[in-house]
Amino acid sequence: MTTDMLSVKGGTKIFYRGTLDERRALDGLDVALKPGDFCIVIGSNGAGKSSFLNAVSGKLPLDSGRISIDGQDVTRLNAHRRAQFIARVFQDPMIGTAPTMTIGENMLLAELRGKPRGFSYGLTAARRAKYSEQLAELNLGLEKRLDMQVGLLSGGQRQSLSLVMAVSTRPKLLLLDEHTAALDPRTAKLVMDTTVRAVEALQLTTLMVTHNMEHAIKYGNRIIMMDAGKVLVEIGQEEKNGITVADLVERFHTKSDAIALQGG
Amino acid sequence: MDVLNSFYGLIPVTIAQSLIVSFVVLGVMLPFRILNFPDLTSEGAFPLGGCVCGTLITAGVNPFLACFIALLCGFAAGCTTAFIHLRFRINTLLAGILVMTMLYSINLRIMGRTNIPLFTYDTVFTVLAGPSANFPWTKILIVGLLVALVLGAMLYFFMSEKGTAMRAVGASPDMAEAQGVNVGTATIIGVGVASALSATGGSIMVQTQGFADVNMGFGILINGLAALIIGEAITGRQTILRQVVAPVIGSLVYYQLISFCLTLGLAPADLKFATGAFVLLMLALPNLRRSSAGVQIREKTRE
Repeated sequence: MTTDMLSVKGGTKIFYRGTLDERRALDGLDVALKPGDFCIVIGSNGAGKSSFLNAVSGKLPLDSGRISIDGQDVTRLNAHRRAQFIARVFQDPMIGTAPTMTIGENMLLAELRGKPRGFSYGLTAARRAKYSEQLAELNLGLEKRLDMQVGLLSGGQRQSLSLVMAVSTRPKLLLLDEHTAALDPRTAKLVMDTTVRAVEALQLTTLMVTHNMEHAIKYGNRIIMMDAGKVLVEIGQEEKNGITVADLVERFHTKSDAIALQGG
Repeated sequence: MDVLNSFYGLIPVTIAQSLIVSFVVLGVMLPFRILNFPDLTSEGAFPLGGCVCGTLITAGVNPFLACFIALLCGFAAGCTTAFIHLRFRINTLLAGILVMTMLYSINLRIMGRTNIPLFTYDTVFTVLAGPSANFPWTKILIVGLLVALVLGAMLYFFMSEKGTAMRAVGASPDMAEAQGVNVGTATIIGVGVASALSATGGSIMVQTQGFADVNMGFGILINGLAALIIGEAITGRQTILRQVVAPVIGSLVYYQLISFCLTLGLAPADLKFATGAFVLLMLALPNLRRSSAGVQIREKTRE
């Protein structure tokens, strides 16, 4: 049996504990991903999808539970220390890149993610050549604009850049946080296609949060449905083939209604 | 013509002064522009550098060593401000005011009185230039070389692997963290270096003016901000080179303007008002145009 690439056991995070506003963002969450899994995370607003991703990335320290990546316990590591294993593409194209810095500098930041940074010159000729090559695969012409400020790019271009930055280091875990939600449909498709190509080519273990049910069905090999900080339904590879949006919605409602009834 | 003549006569002295203050302007620029951390510590770090340096020189310490210790004290002051902000989540401006206010007492304690004359002691200028130490061109040469050195070092650093990471912290903290940059450490070191620059400016200033005074930094931050704005208007901010050079250019131009206004008859008492009004105008100008178009106003220092 291979080690799980990501394992979350009993992940719990409670906001405003002990007050009237107490809210269980994560409530004993258990998730395990095998190497190469492309897992889609769906669920309504407030189900805990973002908290899940933030807990994995280290932005949200857990109250209890354990998280390990490729067999290594990272529960106590800060976000910036976990960056050596994890790459993330944010929903907001403005957040995932440094707007006042150039495309080349952004690529440099990504290349050295989680690695020691020295006092040597950053954008060497060798690096520029490498970045140009990596960006050329996008077919957006970014490879000729390494010295252009990222803030001047369109949302789609920035998100594509963000994606290249994330995958170019072959992270152990790729987190996609509704990364096409802020884009128009055509651009979203472009970014999604690039995502799938990269994930498949590099066999990246991926967690993708989405509100788009069609994306959930079309992409990835597993679906996790979250509700109230827990995994409500898990749909594996075989079951996922041939499932429809209607099936998904129905399964979500039967299950959450059943829980609501039990919980009374 | 008299006015112009006295203005011309003052040009070298003014250049020397503006080169010294350009350390402070660099110390204002770094947190504001690179780290997006509006910081007021300079106002306290500048006299701190002066008081530490002056006290050490009168105690017989080598002036170069005195400058270096002043620099370290400034670094500590800046780190304190950043730490207060990060650890206790106190607004950056308030953290700076707290440190600046406390530094006033510390500066008084260091000197033991409000003013120390240094005329009879060796300074870096007398050590380097001997009897010609007091000529403005000597000062311009020595301080100018030092400024060039600091500019070169800053430029190289901000293009290095570490420096790129520090700039990312100001550009997008979330992104920097996701790329494995320790945002807290980078902020503390960056603000520390900024205050170290201001303190260095203070330590050089006391050696050229011949005395250290506990009140010497009053209003220096607004002067620095005015110089920075002028410099950026001239050089722009598109590249890191322009951003790093802007403070020095701005300082050189700003102090010539001040000198010109003074020779024209502006009362020195009105100087701070004029400077403040100028900074206000420059900060308000883009918003004046925008708010008439119905766009909501954002805090300017945060930009």
